Amino acid sequence: MRLERKDCFELIEPLLGRVERPTRYLGREWGVHEGQDGPFRACLIYPDTYEVGQPNLGLAILYNQLNAAEGISCERSYLPWKDMADLMRERDIPLLSLECAAPVASFDVVGFTLAHEMACTNILETLDLARIPLRSKDRSEDDAIVIAGGPSVWNCEPISPIFDAVLLGDGEEAIVEMCSCVRAGRGHGLARKDILRKLSHVQGVYVPSLYDLVVDDGSTEWGYAVPGHGEDVPERVMKRSYADLSRSDPLPQKIVPYMGIVQDRLALEVLRGCARGCRFCQAGMTYRPVRERPLEQVVGAAAQGLALTGHDEVSLTSLSTTDHSQCAAILHRLNADLRVRGVRVSIPSQRLDSFGVDMAAEVGAARKGGLTFAPEAGSQRLRDVINKNVTEENLEAAARNAFEMGWRRMKLYFMMGLPTETDEDILGITRLARRVLDIGREVVGRGRKSGVSVSISVAVFVPKAYTPFQWSGQLDMDEVVRRQQLLLSSAGDRDIKISYHDAEVSLVEAVLSKMGRGGFELILEAWRRGARFDAWTGEFSFERWCDAAEAVGISLHDVACTSIALDRRLPWDHTSPAVSKGFLQREWRRAMEGVTTPDCTMRSCTGCGVCPTLGVDNLIAGDRHAK
Amino acid sequence: MPNNKADQFRLRVRYSKHDRLAHLGHLEVINTINRCVRRSGLPFAVGNGFARRIRLQFSQALPVGASSAGEFFDLLLTERVDAQDALAALKRSTPPALAPLQSGYVAHELPALEAWLTRSSWGVTLLDDADVAAFMGAIGLLREQGSLCYDRNGKPRRIDLASSLVSVEPRPSGMGFLLDCRSSNEGSLRPATLVAAAARSLGQETPALRVCRLCQWHEEDGRLVEALPRA
Repeated sequence: MRLERKDCFELIEPLLGRVERPTRYLGREWGVHEGQDGPFRACLIYPDTYEVGQPNLGLAILYNQLNAAEGISCERSYLPWKDMADLMRERDIPLLSLECAAPVASFDVVGFTLAHEMACTNILETLDLARIPLRSKDRSEDDAIVIAGGPSVWNCEPISPIFDAVLLGDGEEAIVEMCSCVRAGRGHGLARKDILRKLSHVQGVYVPSLYDLVVDDGSTEWGYAVPGHGEDVPERVMKRSYADLSRSDPLPQKIVPYMGIVQDRLALEVLRGCARGCRFCQAGMTYRPVRERPLEQVVGAAAQGLALTGHDEVSLTSLSTTDHSQCAAILHRLNADLRVRGVRVSIPSQRLDSFGVDMAAEVGAARKGGLTFAPEAGSQRLRDVINKNVTEENLEAAARNAFEMGWRRMKLYFMMGLPTETDEDILGITRLARRVLDIGREVVGRGRKSGVSVSISVAVFVPKAYTPFQWSGQLDMDEVVRRQQLLLSSAGDRDIKISYHDAEVSLVEAVLSKMGRGGFELILEAWRRGARFDAWTGEFSFERWCDAAEAVGISLHDVACTSIALDRRLPWDHTSPAVSKGFLQREWRRAMEGVTTPDCTMRSCTGCGVCPTLGVDNLIAGDRHAK
Repeated sequence: MPNNKADQFRLRVRYSKHDRLAHLGHLEVINTINRCVRRSGLPFAVGNGFARRIRLQFSQALPVGASSAGEFFDLLLTERVDAQDALAALKRSTPPALAPLQSGYVAHELPALEAWLTRSSWGVTLLDDADVAAFMGAIGLLREQGSLCYDRNGKPRRIDLASSLVSVEPRPSGMGFLLDCRSSNEGSLRPATLVAAAARSLGQETPALRVCRLCQWHEEDGRLVEALPRA
């Protein structure tokens, strides 16, 4: 039932003195859209706390696009932390928007960002707190249309019963089209189901309720989705791609938070997409093609954004910022302009070669804390399997360069449980760390005063949809633990520090990544048993997920660890980022043969299928710096 | 560019904190005002340390949830901008609930604001139909005992009420009271702490309350010195 739209801040104000971080709930930040006149209203929700969700660039882009559209107003909401949520339930207060403190259930459209799989219980918690029915099929005619989009839509089947519609791909234009479609449908008095049918005709929009599930010999146990009987919907929904990044607002993030947030700086998206082709990386496959924002636009947006927001740090964000063809020039220009004003420039990750170190030096100036690289695998054989196109020589040269430039601490990211991995690859991780340590001691000197150290962080590989490794099973949890022990025992130097991810969290993440639509029952059961904020280390309970799985008759181990034959129809085959299945299968076979595939922005086309399917192309502003 | 404090200009600004932003913590206020200064376009001075922070000092922290009509910060400028122009620039770049109210230049030699402003007056409003007279009486008894022991973040604390609580008087509205407080190296009295102690002595729950810092002064030889000369 649609709730009445009114300012309800007075309901939560008395609670602010009783909760942690009341600033989460204040709103009225600098740069917020003041005029919320509607008459059509959307509320965009990041299903985690304010400080986690506010930095999200995708949500900021959509917020601006909707507020710029004639007759549409957009507000934000976040999931209150447990203390506030419990108090709100105790006092019968529904979830409110931040801008006008209006009930979320009073909006025409409610949109969720799907940032990662572990947020699934938070979505249920958010809807429940908002008093919106959890399942699309249970919503009444006048309930809000609940939509979703974001980086984690590529197997949205386990949560698809929640959503009325899911947007695949870039949202700049599509979000306005979706809201306009709902507005027109409401204006014409269409039934809810007919509005959803209209939405399914917006390019890139998937309406789960218009598809039926089929389980047959060619599918996995989860089946696959086909258009429902008599429904005029695409058999395969292709993602939306925003062809030219330079046409978009380079400065979507205008809201300045009062509280410290996880990325408390001005973020500029300098580049979208990555064609390096790492075979485990979902973003690398699903954000193609590569589109760069030109130098002048980046530099101008930084100056304008800093003046508008007052931030003292600007971050050049993307999947691989140092791959930008004008990266060096951008950093040089920004540093020359900004350093005197006490403004820092940062990049989220370094390329694993000397150029990456040079760029880190450019942004780090005099600061030489730690430098992070991601070789991902410990042996050249396995790096070839995953298509991480870096060699031992690249890493050694980068490390030497970094130590010579003044860095003393090196952090190396790896994954464990990658397809074809053996004990020798695990031992290769510490061997590589020792080699980097030796280089550091050679350059800087031995002894504790030299301060040279290497930290290794090892995540557990989680197979994700639309990657060449999507058919792979996850490594058995007992085996993960054994390999972690092997890794620990092989370090052999107290200046090598090892940390690794929780195998239990990774197992649940794999389950959520591989299930089909029927997996919704597991998520619902876990939430009913109290699961929320599962991405927060202190909140995750493996026992709760195991109990939920037992209750609904699902084996977490079997779902996560079972490999899928290459010719099976997958639960997510009907929603596509336009990377062809043939390409992914070819990449899987090349992986098994240890054959690498080059980056198409530096070499020739590799035939992933995105450009011809979507009618787009890589847009590179200058010349790419090939290694 | 020379970066000597002696060549810079110390602009003092009085600002308010009210409405929803009363719920900001002190660090959040500091970060917000830093950004307001950057947005203002004023020629602010930056420290010589690695972090290159704006040269900005604040008066004593205000408790989360308390509003104020008399907060201060000192901002070092590299050029002398007319104080009224600076105030106007800051107003344009600051959320209304933290609005700058007054500005003027002060001498470099003055101690840091936090140490210099040791006297403050507070308006305390008791909500939920609390019996103000009973609370006034309880506070009087607490003063007679001389010191107040309380718990803060799990740690036992003690404050000398004889020196830290200068006076208490009922508000003209009858809804609460006005406190005149003095801070020292030993600590400062938080109105909410005093009300909680009074409630305990009355055997009651601490009532909901609104706290507002009305003004702050420097105390010198028993007289109160304004932080900024009145215009």
